[in-house]
Amino acid sequence: MSAPRTLFEKIWDEHVIVVSPQGEALLYVDFNLINEGQSFLAFDQLRMEGRRARRPEQHLAVTDHYLPTINRALGTAGMPNPEIRRVVEMLDENAAEFRLPHVGWFHPDQGIAHVIAPELGIAQPGMLITCNDSHTATNGACGALAVPIGGGNQLRHVVATQTVWLKQPKTMRISIDGRLPNAVTAKDVVLSVIREIGVGGATGYAVEYAGPAITAMSMEGRLTVCNMSIEAGARIGMIAPDETTYQFLAGSKNAPQDGDWDAALAYWQTLPTDADAVFDRELAFDAARFAPMVSWGTSPDDCSPVDGVVPDPAQIADAERRRHVERALDYMRLTPTTPLERIAIDRVFIGSCTNSRIEDLRAAAQVLKGRRAVVPGMVSPGSSAVKRQAESEGLDRIFIAAGLEWRDSGCSMCNGSNGELVAPGERCASTTNRNFEGRQGRGALTHIMSPAMVAAAALSGRLADVRRFD
Amino acid sequence: MLAFTVLTAIAAPLDIAKIDTGMILPGRYMRRHRRPGHDYGEAFLYDLRFDETGRPRRDFVLNDPAYHEAKILVAGGDFGCGSSREGAAFAVMDYGLRALLAPSFGEIFQVNCIQNGILAVTLAEPVIHDLWRQLRARPGSALTIDLPNQRLIAPDGMRHEFDIGPLRKDRLIRGIDDIDVTLEHLDGIEAFEAKRRARLPWLPAAKRDARA
Ligand code: SF4
Repeated sequence: MSAPRTLFEKIWDEHVIVVSPQGEALLYVDFNLINEGQSFLAFDQLRMEGRRARRPEQHLAVTDHYLPTINRALGTAGMPNPEIRRVVEMLDENAAEFRLPHVGWFHPDQGIAHVIAPELGIAQPGMLITCNDSHTATNGACGALAVPIGGGNQLRHVVATQTVWLKQPKTMRISIDGRLPNAVTAKDVVLSVIREIGVGGATGYAVEYAGPAITAMSMEGRLTVCNMSIEAGARIGMIAPDETTYQFLAGSKNAPQDGDWDAALAYWQTLPTDADAVFDRELAFDAARFAPMVSWGTSPDDCSPVDGVVPDPAQIADAERRRHVERALDYMRLTPTTPLERIAIDRVFIGSCTNSRIEDLRAAAQVLKGRRAVVPGMVSPGSSAVKRQAESEGLDRIFIAAGLEWRDSGCSMCNGSNGELVAPGERCASTTNRNFEGRQGRGALTHIMSPAMVAAAALSGRLADVRRFD
Repeated sequence: MLAFTVLTAIAAPLDIAKIDTGMILPGRYMRRHRRPGHDYGEAFLYDLRFDETGRPRRDFVLNDPAYHEAKILVAGGDFGCGSSREGAAFAVMDYGLRALLAPSFGEIFQVNCIQNGILAVTLAEPVIHDLWRQLRARPGSALTIDLPNQRLIAPDGMRHEFDIGPLRKDRLIRGIDDIDVTLEHLDGIEAFEAKRRARLPWLPAAKRDARA
């Protein structure tokens, strides 16, 4: 019998080709996703060196960050900003030149890379997946080991060799015990954990989320939790595959077919962490104590249950933390001790790889149904498939009737690469994952929360407790 | 990648601390294609080299004709700090530099330089100051950098040892980057791949025209 191992260790060990004398492992990459970002640097360099993609079929180029969410039918002509258009075109050209499969603005599968990889069944248990984006861990919800890589040299290396050099991280298990209270969602779980352990709390670790509250979650919820691993510093976040995972995968385009399904299933069932496996660090939380969360500051751990107040720096003993909170409140234009529910907002955004899947849109629509938002806002589904599904359920009509814009899919206002920005000084309730200074645009004031909470905020014109809208 | 063994070349003194990657490669160049004849050489330290109207700043050291052939830059502390933009190392390389000497470097920038065949080594601050003094006294003087022996020979003939990790040194001397290092394991990669495919035949493979 081999020693008991964690889910992470099993997949890691399975992919090691060689370990360098310096202790870095050369790992095999089963699949790599590529977005526009800085990927052109990798391709420019490969071109100058005369190198090709070693395994083109194990890559998927996905246009998501720079694609506008309107006027899609016009193609690149619908991108008035020449710089943005150029970035989109460069990925088109590079994918064509390096013969990489590509999901561009024209494609029926188009969407945010971290939304479409699980949706298409590209992210499967036991796989090692890379992507030149910090939220790659999202795919870990499918029981995969998904690692972010740099858009320049690391991506160039993966394209040329189908491998990546990595230092083995430590392991951490975060258990969420018990059951989630009414109206508390996956977003609230992960925000509560980040609030507790801080933005550096999981740095250097591969995190496995476990426990009854995680097991009870849908795939959509699990994807939301793993998505925000990086907001606690962890580059890797994952959840053991189980019945929920298998059912989700079974309907997807890339699911193992026929006879392969049984073999795949048998393999996947060997992956969950062994009973006696030891983690470098273990944390446990009681789900019953979680509440709907909103952020008030400029870092994802600057958040609080919605019935709380803006913190008072004068009450913070730690000098460094106090300075951060002072600066955050100054940027966010907030006064200490203001009840969070008194903070008026100017707009809302529902979208991003954190919360733009069908379940997220249903949750927001349920709150908005038959009501009118008092502030403007937009809804951008995470993929074209999610968009079609939502329209078949009539969710688009609910959003539009509530006064919100129903857009195409993409990263959009999550970080505004495509030019869809929150205006300076505007306050936005957003389902995204980062509330950094300027994240949604220069001077934009971002509050992050769950889709249902954003819907409640849209109806109230201020941060609001969704539990009042039942 | 170009190999680096012994280099004797003109060195330019750049007496400014904390030149960050945003100064080395201004943000507006970051979305620009880099190809032969249209590389990042122009972008290198652009705002230090040129004024708002695009005219060379006469008082900036690199605009002195004595340094036009410089391949070595003797820089101030924290050279290449700031954002991790990899294009900054390309700008250094495309400008024509092969070696950077400074009291300290931004860590990611230093790794990126070595990855691209640029020797970036730290020297004690007094040594840097002494080099600046000598280079200013005789603009256009040459330094010799002897990587195999980890030694620098100053214009006055003084020798200074420097540190460099064995792995980085080996890569620079052999002129190989991490792809070359990896491809030394190509047999292992191929064997691994064949075995994995046979055992897990269902792993997804995307199609070039996934539209179908
Ligand atoms: S949706 Fe936002 S966080 Fe996700 S990949 Fe796009 S920009 Fe990054």
